[in-house]
Amino acid sequence: MTGRNLIDLLTKDSRAEIDRWIAKYPADQKQSAVMAALRIVQEQNEGHLTTELMDAVAQYLQMDPIAVYEVATFYSMYEMKPVGRHKICVCTNISCMLCGSEEIVEHLKKKLGIGFGEVTPDGRFSLKEVECLGACVGAPMFQIGEHYYEHLTTEKVDRILNEID
Amino acid sequence: MKALGRFFKSLFLLELLQGLRLTGRYLLDRKVTIIYPEEKTPQSPRFRGLHAQRRYPGGEERCIACKLCEAICPAMAITIEAEPRQDGSRRTSRYDIDLSKCIFCGFCEESCPVDAIVETRVFEYFGEKRSDLVKSKKDLLEVGAQHEAQIAADRAQDAPYR
Amino acid sequence: MADIEINGKVIKARDGAMVIEAADEAGITIPRFCYHEKLSVAASCRMCLVEVEKAPKPLPACATPVTDGMKVWTNSPKALAAQKNVMEFLLINHPLDCPICDQGGECDLQDIAVGYGSDVSRFSEIKRVVRSKDIGPLIATDFTRCIHCTRCVRFGQEIAGVKELGATGRGEHMEIGTYVEKSVGSELSGNIIDLCPVGALTSKPFRFTARPWELGDILSVSPHDCVGSNLVLQTRRNRVMRVVPQANEAINETWISDRDRFSYVGLNSKERLDKPMIKVEDEWREVGWETALERVVKGIRDLINGHGAEQFGTLMSPSSTLEEMYLLQKLTRGLGSANIDHRLRQSDFSDQELLPPFPWLGQEIKQLEKLNAALLVGSNVRKEQPIIAHRLRKAAVSGASVMFVNPVDYSFNFPVAEKLIGNPDRMVRVLAGIAKALLDITGDVAPEGLQVLLENVSVGDTELVVAERLKAAENSTVLLGTLALQSPQLSSLRALSALIAKLSGARFGQLPEGANSSGGWLAGAVPHRGPAGEEAAVAGVNASVMFEHPLRGYLLMGVEPELDTLSPATSVKILEQASFVVLMTPFVSEQMKRYADVILPVSPFSETSGTFVNIEGRWQSFSGAVVPLGESRPAWKVLRVLGNLFDLQGFDYTSSEQVRDELKASCEQIEPSSRVTWRCPTSLDADSTGLQRIGEVPIYAADALVRRSEPLQNTQDAMAAAVYVNESVATGLGLADGDVAQVRQGGDSIWLPVVIDERVADGCVIVPAALAETAGLGAIYGSVDISKN
Repeated sequence: MTGRNLIDLLTKDSRAEIDRWIAKYPADQKQSAVMAALRIVQEQNEGHLTTELMDAVAQYLQMDPIAVYEVATFYSMYEMKPVGRHKICVCTNISCMLCGSEEIVEHLKKKLGIGFGEVTPDGRFSLKEVECLGACVGAPMFQIGEHYYEHLTTEKVDRILNEID
Repeated sequence: MKALGRFFKSLFLLELLQGLRLTGRYLLDRKVTIIYPEEKTPQSPRFRGLHAQRRYPGGEERCIACKLCEAICPAMAITIEAEPRQDGSRRTSRYDIDLSKCIFCGFCEESCPVDAIVETRVFEYFGEKRSDLVKSKKDLLEVGAQHEAQIAADRAQDAPYR
Repeated sequence: MADIEINGKVIKARDGAMVIEAADEAGITIPRFCYHEKLSVAASCRMCLVEVEKAPKPLPACATPVTDGMKVWTNSPKALAAQKNVMEFLLINHPLDCPICDQGGECDLQDIAVGYGSDVSRFSEIKRVVRSKDIGPLIATDFTRCIHCTRCVRFGQEIAGVKELGATGRGEHMEIGTYVEKSVGSELSGNIIDLCPVGALTSKPFRFTARPWELGDILSVSPHDCVGSNLVLQTRRNRVMRVVPQANEAINETWISDRDRFSYVGLNSKERLDKPMIKVEDEWREVGWETALERVVKGIRDLINGHGAEQFGTLMSPSSTLEEMYLLQKLTRGLGSANIDHRLRQSDFSDQELLPPFPWLGQEIKQLEKLNAALLVGSNVRKEQPIIAHRLRKAAVSGASVMFVNPVDYSFNFPVAEKLIGNPDRMVRVLAGIAKALLDITGDVAPEGLQVLLENVSVGDTELVVAERLKAAENSTVLLGTLALQSPQLSSLRALSALIAKLSGARFGQLPEGANSSGGWLAGAVPHRGPAGEEAAVAGVNASVMFEHPLRGYLLMGVEPELDTLSPATSVKILEQASFVVLMTPFVSEQMKRYADVILPVSPFSETSGTFVNIEGRWQSFSGAVVPLGESRPAWKVLRVLGNLFDLQGFDYTSSEQVRDELKASCEQIEPSSRVTWRCPTSLDADSTGLQRIGEVPIYAADALVRRSEPLQNTQDAMAAAVYVNESVATGLGLADGDVAQVRQGGDSIWLPVVIDERVADGCVIVPAALAETAGLGAIYGSVDISKN
């Protein structure tokens, strides 16, 4: 079965960006670009991946679709469900936990009215529990977008959330 | 002196009296024989009589067709056929015990992981034909339903030793 | 070679071997779950931890290469402690539901837990639960039991060549599955049932019906393809419960195809016939063997006395055993007729005099994986002979160029170096192009007559590349596939393929359908040659002629003419007109009752002893696994009795071995050969016009037995009866996907849905053969008209 062509689902920009990554690897090892490709496609699709998009990546990199699913489900930075505009990734590993991440999590849940893996009704925020992000020195911490916010307190959390739209 | 002793013993029939004393004691003692079937001997909770298949209180049959009883049976008296039931669970479609082969060793009961096949206290059963002694799954479940209270009580009593 | 010491025993191990391989060879057992000798090393289960001298921690034996002077202990306190602890970890999430698990009794985890597990669990938390997935009609899943050894994933990737199962998620959330709901479609998928060390993947048709300790093992041979895979039929209470592979490195290694594994379901089909039947005044009556055989003898005698023996013909399935074929031809020839054949779907017989004693692969099956180049002509080898495809895949993966000349762009589970896809009529021309290119390269003189034909043949780029690759390869082969063997241009294709092989120094081989085509030729089940390839005194007519020019009487063994012949519609019409038709068949259908006069119930392969000769020329005998059903009897016994009833000489056999030995003695001088005597094709073009039909036989419609295996019929590979055309042809005909179109071939016509399939070349259309829905059509190759309304 040839199946239908899904590559069109990838935007021209995404394809150009993926091609840039493919170029970094030997010609016969296109699949090495899969992580970058998934990140690019996730950005293109407002922060989450769909099965169709993963199939498109598989076609583009000439991989078996299941191999792409394996990668996408293995790493925590890929989202399989829609997320909010701002994804709050709270570290709950040991250093952060000892420094009070539980309190931060409680506060966030109460303030946003959502649990882990959920999106606020206005689509602004989603909350995610992650493993150590390597910022134990600033524990407790969370990550929103590409920024780390460290030494969190409930007041600081309020301030941060108010500052972003 | 020895001869004198023997003489008196035989003269007064002492040995006979000794024997009669034993007879007399049993004559007046409590009887150990019983008048079966009006009277019954007491039974151990581990009594190994007629087999039964049990159900859970909810009505679901216990047997899961693991076939361990069939495998362990030294007399090869058990025949099981199994297949997935409508709901996908593993069940027997046939469970026969041939009581004319069974030696009532109790291995089936012991091997059963879910206490489905048990031996009850029932020992009074008969068959008019040989084939009546082959008990089907339906028969066994009926026996189980009839005696469930007793079976459950017996298992509970024996539980600490198992 | 490295000298190593395991448990104090000095062993010579191959350089680069892993410790576990060296230990296995020396007979030292190391527990393992994820390691499998045919798969890559994952080292994910850690069960094979062993103590190695100077290593601070225990090392996994499956991923530790041997080094000279290495000292290993597999059962030292340190190694044992490591193994026991791994076992405890593995059992943390494994449910203790052995009593309801189908793997119970043959479970690696269960067995090893007896040796390395502890009596009580220290784990009091809740166990992980994973939802089971529906991955098709063949394999049942219970993923809660999975221990993540990834053998099934590696099998898909490395052996089956299609990665369908994968491990998604990570850590405790890791799950084996397809991620999206879909069936596993590989034709070798059943092997993951054997590979799975626990009860996560089990056989669906076998589910819950028996325990491994109840099953008796009988060795057998696959009755479906010319590979002759070795099987174990597992029986209980006179019924085949399951089929598993028997390892044979020379043939099927440890794998078998799904067709071999699951066809057994058909053995217990409702259509099995258990009593002889005769037609009396248009009414069918069940009778005893004596009455039935008397009727057969009388019917055939009357026919021969009245109209001559040449009005009688016999046909048999190419999957009949050697003994059956030999006895049937002996009977037929004894009665004075030479009309006998097993090549039911062949249409071109013009080169049959030029052929070697029997169709041969040209090499051993295991040699295929060492090839550097292979050219397959008219072959969907992946679905026709899955085990051959697996060997070719091994070669392709290690760099061989596997090339195809095909009418359909089939998908293969290995990289295809070059493919020449075109209308079936064009295949001859394509081969001529390759031959021409080779002649140019080698500078050889074209064999007699070819030069003229080659003058107006143009050599395309691909043809040239194919020729160059074949010539350059040190170890190469040209194989003629089943599709080519059914083609009306067979003689041209065969002559040119053999020529290409000769010019390029490749070995020439053929891949005929059925389990015993090679045996058919050896047994003399062809009209022009007797047993052991001897020239027949009187040549009879072949299968195709028997259905073109009606005879008055037929005896068919194991054949369902409405599905198994070249042109089913015509065959059935002719049988209906014939005055006497005898069927020897394990299965009976309503249609058979319309044209037959006597139906004799004979045993399928599981109930008879016999021999199959595989495509390497290997004679493999097997015995019956169960007693024949009801009154049915092994066909060789029926034929023997018939021989006696006809008062023919030499039918006093007491065993099938006797029959085989008689034939074997006369076959002793026969050397396998691929030599096809050259005869120049008269033309490179067929005189056909219009759309060409490709009557592909779907993998699960190949013979009477698989057609009755319900689980196989529910798979993706069981092709639906439809018209498969590519987009441009469809547009030209005004058809769209899902339309219902009328297919006309000769005088016959049927209605079928249209499926757009880009694999089909221009100018042709796939209308599968051997399906009830398409049985109303004519020859499996030929011109068809397709129209909407």
